[in-house]
Amino acid sequence: MVAALLLLAALAASAPMLARRLGRSTGYVLSAGFLVAAGLLVSLAPQVLRGGRPGAQAAVEASAPWLPSLGVEAALRLDGLSLVFALVALVVGALVMAYCARYLSDASARGPVLPLLTVFAAAMVGLVLADDLVLLYLFWELTTLCSFALLSTAGARAEAPARRALVITIAGGLALLVAVVLLALAGGTTRISVLLAEPDVVLSSPLAWPVAACVLLAAMSKSAQLPLQFWLPGAMVAMTPVSAYLHAATMVKAGIYLLVRISALFAEQTPWQVALVAVGMATALVGAVMALREHDLKGILAHSTVSQLGLLVAAIGVGTPTALGAALLHTMAHALFKATLFMLVGIIDTETGSRDIRDLSGLRRAMPWTAAATALAALSMAGVPPALGFVSKEYLYQGFVSAPGPAWVAPAAAACAVTASALTFAYSMRIVWGAFGGPDHPELYEPAKSFLAPAAVAAAAGLLLGPAVSLFDPLVDAATSAALPGSVPPRIYFWHGLSTEVVLSGVTVALGSLLFWQRDRVDGVLVRLRLPDAGGAFDVGHRGLLALGGRVGADTRARPLATHLARPLAVVAVLGVVGAVVLGGALPERTATAVPGEPVLLVVLAVTLVCAAVTSSALVLVALVGLVGLVVAVRMVLVGAADVALTLLLVEVLTAVVLVLVLRGGRLRLPAVVGPTGRGAVPAALLAAGAGTAAGLGTWALTGRRELSPTGAYLLDNAEELTGGTNVVNTVLVDFRGVDTLLESVLVGVVALGLGVLTRGSTTPGHEARERPDVVLQVASRVLAPLAVLASAVLLWRGHDQPGGGFIGALVAGAGVVLVHLAGTGGSGRLERLTDPVLLAGSGALVAVGTGLLPLVWGGALMEPFAVPGLYALGVSSALLFDLGVYALVVSLVAACVRGFGRVSAADPSGDPGPGRAEVSA
Amino acid sequence: MTTAVVVALLVATGTWLVLRRGLLRVVVGFVLLGHGVNLLVLTAGGTDRRGFALPGQQGEGPVADPLPQAFVLTAVVIAFAVTVHLLGLLRQGQVLDEDDDAEGPA
Repeated sequence: MVAALLLLAALAASAPMLARRLGRSTGYVLSAGFLVAAGLLVSLAPQVLRGGRPGAQAAVEASAPWLPSLGVEAALRLDGLSLVFALVALVVGALVMAYCARYLSDASARGPVLPLLTVFAAAMVGLVLADDLVLLYLFWELTTLCSFALLSTAGARAEAPARRALVITIAGGLALLVAVVLLALAGGTTRISVLLAEPDVVLSSPLAWPVAACVLLAAMSKSAQLPLQFWLPGAMVAMTPVSAYLHAATMVKAGIYLLVRISALFAEQTPWQVALVAVGMATALVGAVMALREHDLKGILAHSTVSQLGLLVAAIGVGTPTALGAALLHTMAHALFKATLFMLVGIIDTETGSRDIRDLSGLRRAMPWTAAATALAALSMAGVPPALGFVSKEYLYQGFVSAPGPAWVAPAAAACAVTASALTFAYSMRIVWGAFGGPDHPELYEPAKSFLAPAAVAAAAGLLLGPAVSLFDPLVDAATSAALPGSVPPRIYFWHGLSTEVVLSGVTVALGSLLFWQRDRVDGVLVRLRLPDAGGAFDVGHRGLLALGGRVGADTRARPLATHLARPLAVVAVLGVVGAVVLGGALPERTATAVPGEPVLLVVLAVTLVCAAVTSSALVLVALVGLVGLVVAVRMVLVGAADVALTLLLVEVLTAVVLVLVLRGGRLRLPAVVGPTGRGAVPAALLAAGAGTAAGLGTWALTGRRELSPTGAYLLDNAEELTGGTNVVNTVLVDFRGVDTLLESVLVGVVALGLGVLTRGSTTPGHEARERPDVVLQVASRVLAPLAVLASAVLLWRGHDQPGGGFIGALVAGAGVVLVHLAGTGGSGRLERLTDPVLLAGSGALVAVGTGLLPLVWGGALMEPFAVPGLYALGVSSALLFDLGVYALVVSLVAACVRGFGRVSAADPSGDPGPGRAEVSA
Repeated sequence: MTTAVVVALLVATGTWLVLRRGLLRVVVGFVLLGHGVNLLVLTAGGTDRRGFALPGQQGEGPVADPLPQAFVLTAVVIAFAVTVHLLGLLRQGQVLDEDDDAEGPA
């Protein structure tokens, strides 16, 4: 069992390689591989089929630990039911692969189709073998994705149908996921065999009916039941082997498998039966009518598949062993005749260039073997004896006739089934008639024997397996008892006397013949028939949803930034109100103290901010924001934050330089603070006042009212002992919260790299300053820049004990870099290379991450401090190494600024640095 | 008490500038909002302890809480990175359409 799955996976992996060697003949290799996999499963059959031990539950199991924390195992289980569906997937797969070997061109065989089909086969077999809900769900989604990928190989015209199919089946997949979670909650395990062995555990839970609804929804989407059936006819844009394999024989049967599998829980529950029979019968009838209306051969077959799946769902809904057994037999029969018909349609399409049923006339003389095979498969679909389709339909009738429930149920179900089957007979006859009737087409020739062979073999099998149907008896028997433990499955044989079913079959043929005989009149009625267009409704809903998303997101693309920037700011104001209401007046006593200089600072700040709020000059704004930074830095010193104040001061200097570099060559006059119409100024002012008030009240209410935090006290008491550093803030950065700092520094490096990309549109370094060197600046830079670098080294070195560290040191060094750039004294090459942002960011990240990870080598913890061998005596600790990485990352940002903004923008090649471009904006 | 007023002024002015026309104002607005929030976080350490957490400084009254300081220190550097990034975007906008006015007609 595991070997079969592994074989399929290996085939999928090797398919592209084989295709390069063998071209389209790869199909034969894959076909043989599928048959070997099927053989591996059949070799387990003696253990799975009951072998004369009625009532015994027989299965082969294998499992491996997977997600132990969730109690989920990768569990596989082969019982009769799994065997039926796995064999359908592999045998039909082998036929389709052999067909692909002649249908595809060598070029398309090297494409993704063959590997995808093989992955799909593996997923389908995995789906039916899975004994764990999570595993089942995984394979279920994998088949959906394979289907989508295979559909998209059909190119642009497949786009809309592929999207429909994907959305519908993925939605069903989500329903299945919900069902999986609910089942696991209700049953306490994800193991399917355990859940099904004790139906009462799940049924007594309030979650039982949500589970049933979700499972039904999942099956309806996958098996194309009304009203979700429209994706399947659309999926016919895919190439014929895909239609034959996925969208007729196997993938659409996944829903059938799920329903049969879950029958052990719900088969005897009336709501479940009613829902399945109603949905199934409606689908069967609508699908058959739609099929009769079609003239495109693939369209007929697609609607026919929908109709037949409906019959299967209805039979599963009846839920008796007879009905389930019939559904299983018909699943096999349908896979066989429908895949055959698709393959033949593909041949006819290739040879005649048409799929219109009205163009088929005369096929019997030009392509006698193709015509014969088509007719055989169509007769099996029509349910004409002695084909396999006839026998399975008989059993379906038997199931409906013996349906439990009120007396009217069985006749009603049988009548619906007969009607659907009569319609099926009628469109099948059209195919037969198309193949055999009408005038000749002398220019056509029989296809190559190898092209026809897979379809011919399948068509012949469909005929011969009818009389030999008792071969299926042990298989259906085992599958039915696996689905319904303890039941007595029906015996499968070809002829069981003049029973009700035979009479119903007679009625079917008679009605169908009538419909076929009066086909012109029937066509007339059908053309006028207006059926609700579920596909159109889906498209409208889909477009509506996309439009809704577009409207929700539209504001983030709006040109007036204020419309969406206002929202998060408004939240601040609202939070302030909520906070005030929640807190009420119950606040602890304030313990904050004041320092003499503070009111003066406050006045300076207020005046500066008011000026900043109203100015229209970019340069004034830059100067004012620098002043605000200075005031804030002084405030930080006043509350005891030396390192922070130092950092902020340096940042302010660099920000001012960068701002000036950016403004150079741009407009220096900003648009008026309040536009001519004044629109939006009042709301903005109100919002600003609200946000400011909220922030101020929050600060007042929530700070300065408690003792030193326990963490702070711990750090102050233990930092030196634990880290060897006396600058507590720096030890927090490089030791206690090292990972945090690491990620933040890397972020800084990322911005540096991003800046390089953002400013790539600029021309090569201009160094305008070098053209007009300022002597004072030049001299100053020659003296000060080396000093800055030296100072930064000292700051970095002593950072662990004194104010300083990687951030501060790097900013000082950055000031040096900026100075050199402005003075144009950098020389052309060396400094340029040395301050390459990519080099700095990369090496910085490497050093910082490496220092953090190194302790793991000898089993230490991430970021654990360690003694640097050889250098420890010099005072080099791991903290210093780490800080060195941070240093390089921050310098890379400054260097990136100088590089990016120091260039002249491409749109302004003159590089005029003066304020002459100041313009009045409209 | 003055800290609360300072934070209120910074946030109010920052909000006002962010909502006004001109990308440069938006950038400066973000810088001011950053100052406001950084001060708030620092103040959360308590304003009754103002000594530097450094050797030889313990004599000047109780030492300030070092944890918020460490937070704010990295926040300052990150705010610088964000500012620079915004300026990069602003510059890119100038290159693309010579128009640093973020708004349509007023």
